[in-house]
Amino acid sequence: MSAFRLFGLGLFGSAGLAACGGGTPAASGVQPVSVGTALAAEQTITRGLQDAPRTLDPSLATDTVGQDVIDDLFEGLTTIGPDGGLAPGVASSWETSADGKTWTFHLRPEARWSNGDPVTAADFVYAWHRQVDPKTGSEYAQALAPIVGAMDIATGHAPVENLGVSAPDAHTLRVSLIAPTPYLLALVADSYLQPLHHATIEKFGDDWSRPEHMVSNGPFVLKEFIIGDRITLDKNPRYWGAAGVRPARVIYYPLDSVIQISRYLAGDIEISDVFQTDQFQWLKSHLGDQVHTGPYLGIQQLVFNMIDGPFAHNPKLREALSMAVDRRILANKVRLGVQEPAFSILPPLAGYHQPVPAWANWNDAQRHAEARRLYAAAGYSAQNPLRVQLLYSTDPQNRDLYDAVAAMWRTTLGADVQPYNEEFRVYLQDAALHKAVLMQNFWIGDFPDPFTFLQLFQSGFAQNFGGLSDRRFDALLAAAANEPDNERRYRLFEQAETRLNDEADAVPLLYYTSRHLIKPYLKGWHLNLLDRMPSRYLYVLEHQGN
Amino acid sequence: MLKFLLRRLMIAIPTLLLIATLAFGLLHATPGGPFDTGKRMPAAIQRSIEAKYHLNEPLWRQYLRYLGDLLHGDLGPSFQYRNTSVNELIRVGLPVDIEIGSLALGVAVLFGGSLGMMAAIRRNTAWDTVAMFLAALGVSVPVFVVAPLLILVFAVQLNWLPSGDWRSGEFRYLVLPVIALCLPYVAYIARMTRGSALEVLSSSYIRTAWAKGLPQRSVILRHALRPVLMPLVSFLGPAFAGVLTGSIIVESVFGLPGIGRYFLTGAVNRDYTLVVGITVLYGALIIAFNLLADLCYAWIDPRVRLDS
Repeated sequence: MSAFRLFGLGLFGSAGLAACGGGTPAASGVQPVSVGTALAAEQTITRGLQDAPRTLDPSLATDTVGQDVIDDLFEGLTTIGPDGGLAPGVASSWETSADGKTWTFHLRPEARWSNGDPVTAADFVYAWHRQVDPKTGSEYAQALAPIVGAMDIATGHAPVENLGVSAPDAHTLRVSLIAPTPYLLALVADSYLQPLHHATIEKFGDDWSRPEHMVSNGPFVLKEFIIGDRITLDKNPRYWGAAGVRPARVIYYPLDSVIQISRYLAGDIEISDVFQTDQFQWLKSHLGDQVHTGPYLGIQQLVFNMIDGPFAHNPKLREALSMAVDRRILANKVRLGVQEPAFSILPPLAGYHQPVPAWANWNDAQRHAEARRLYAAAGYSAQNPLRVQLLYSTDPQNRDLYDAVAAMWRTTLGADVQPYNEEFRVYLQDAALHKAVLMQNFWIGDFPDPFTFLQLFQSGFAQNFGGLSDRRFDALLAAAANEPDNERRYRLFEQAETRLNDEADAVPLLYYTSRHLIKPYLKGWHLNLLDRMPSRYLYVLEHQGN
Repeated sequence: MLKFLLRRLMIAIPTLLLIATLAFGLLHATPGGPFDTGKRMPAAIQRSIEAKYHLNEPLWRQYLRYLGDLLHGDLGPSFQYRNTSVNELIRVGLPVDIEIGSLALGVAVLFGGSLGMMAAIRRNTAWDTVAMFLAALGVSVPVFVVAPLLILVFAVQLNWLPSGDWRSGEFRYLVLPVIALCLPYVAYIARMTRGSALEVLSSSYIRTAWAKGLPQRSVILRHALRPVLMPLVSFLGPAFAGVLTGSIIVESVFGLPGIGRYFLTGAVNRDYTLVVGITVLYGALIIAFNLLADLCYAWIDPRVRLDS
């Protein structure tokens, strides 16, 4: 689940088709499609993936593209339901203890592996042990951090047996948590916590995830996986819910997002997993209602270096900068209306009241005047302007965004901010070492819960690029972590975020959106916050043309 | 002959070693590692993964370990594609590149050669002008423009051919990638053949052949063709290596599972073993094809002596 996909491989792909996307006359004749109401005879679904998954081993996969495929192959205790929300998966029911720290999951006895073996609680225990075992080399062992013992084991300080998970009997799984974790239900739907077939992994070692060996428990089985070419899945007849799965075959093609458009136009893929925002207008005018966008749980923001430099200990200056950014212009002009302006760090989340600063609703003149006042109060002026650099990761879309932001600061405040870019991995390293005073810090939430975003500002968190260490904020997060009542927990998170807003510790800019092209004859999908679209619910209607 | 081969082989080994060393050094000198991802992991976990891949060892030891494995033909595990070895990625990808590469080059020699020959024979006629205009166009229009255009016309508009995919090299899936890949070579070979043919056709022994009253067919095919092909042979060796390495864009646009794409994504992802492995492979191919070209040269032209 890395944010990497968003800055991925636009390299020459964008140079390639972008030229044609500009509106060559040949491209305008997109053929019309007529869609019937009956199911098509052939239920094969072809999907684009913007990159080849690094692996289909759920313990090792870290990329969003891998998540899509693993969702089809495996099923956790919970899963993504037909409406895009959470639904029971292998677990048919569960209960929590009064303090919220012990969860008991009851597994459905009819759940089967693709080789016919029953799916048992021991398969989950094995998988979770494997996930935190340092020998496995999982890059996302911290996904299990809420479970007792997980981090000690992952860092090599305790044996795997210490993990707070047990199987009192074949169909009961008990999980012990460090603190009440209301988002556990979302967490157990993630690939990292899906069950694994012990005997297969013991037998084949690292090769177990190859098509010829893999045993999985989801709606589909792996038929072939050619890294640069495609991944073919066939329906798993032994899946407990197989009766409700319509696709007989799903083929994923790993292709750059720009290339996906040409494949889509030619009818060779039916769903693209993303398109670049700068292609939006062209797509909209040629494909109309086949272009779909929806909220996606991610934030594009800038963070300040709080350790040293002009922004540390200077909340007025930080607020002046945040206030001077015209986010609606960024959303509507730079991103052509595809993305939403962000005035708070957390994207809209059910039950959570975004603490939006009051100035978000002021008119431009008022907001700019106050920004200028704060800028002056912080000790800067036309004679003594702020001169800083802004670090971002190399990507043409990022460049457009930061050039616009810098221009806003120049016109409104007279500040001289120079955006500079570094190749993604270099940027990551420099940002983690707090080498810049102002830098991008994009984040995609792992599960729909405020914690995944607010931890970005927690002292000592690996991706706290600004190096913020705010005792009051940390205390609020700690209080939320120990609060069993989710209502009260959310209120604590709101207070924590309000604290970030008051101190202007970050400049939220835009919320992410999921962006798909979907053929009109393909039904059964629901865009959701995590941008996960399981193939099992999809079906193809009879149609003419593509 | 044997001495020649041995001598070339002796030069090849240190050359490859140098390539491996440079690639290894440059890649490791680049900031950021294979496990720096969009979500940073706690330092202790990162250390344990790095230990699994020996990335925690001093660089010289990693280097020696790599060279040791390389001598056994083991290019190591890929960092990007976990649980997959570089050898396997190459084993799956290289045949794809070889297939479209040799087809593209074959087509290029056939068309480019005929075009150039025709232009030379009908020198300064409309034929010549048109052929050379096409050749100039082919050389100057880059493949990242040609490839999407081909898709747009033949796959999206006309719906005659698939817009990509490989399907173990089925003919329909080969047409567009091969055209996209061969166009610049057609053009280049046409220009080269024309130049070489003009020189040969104006030489005295060809004039003698005409004077003897031989038919055109015989003059061109029996007497002129072989010397005309000489520069082509020395071009084809490196060109074949070039087709293999230069197919990155074609692979990406058509979604072919060749190794060119790994070369690019490997560098972006700091997949040390994958990039060094492919670099060494490319180096070996270039050396091998140059050697092959030299051998062919000697075979075609009896005046060339390899041992001297």
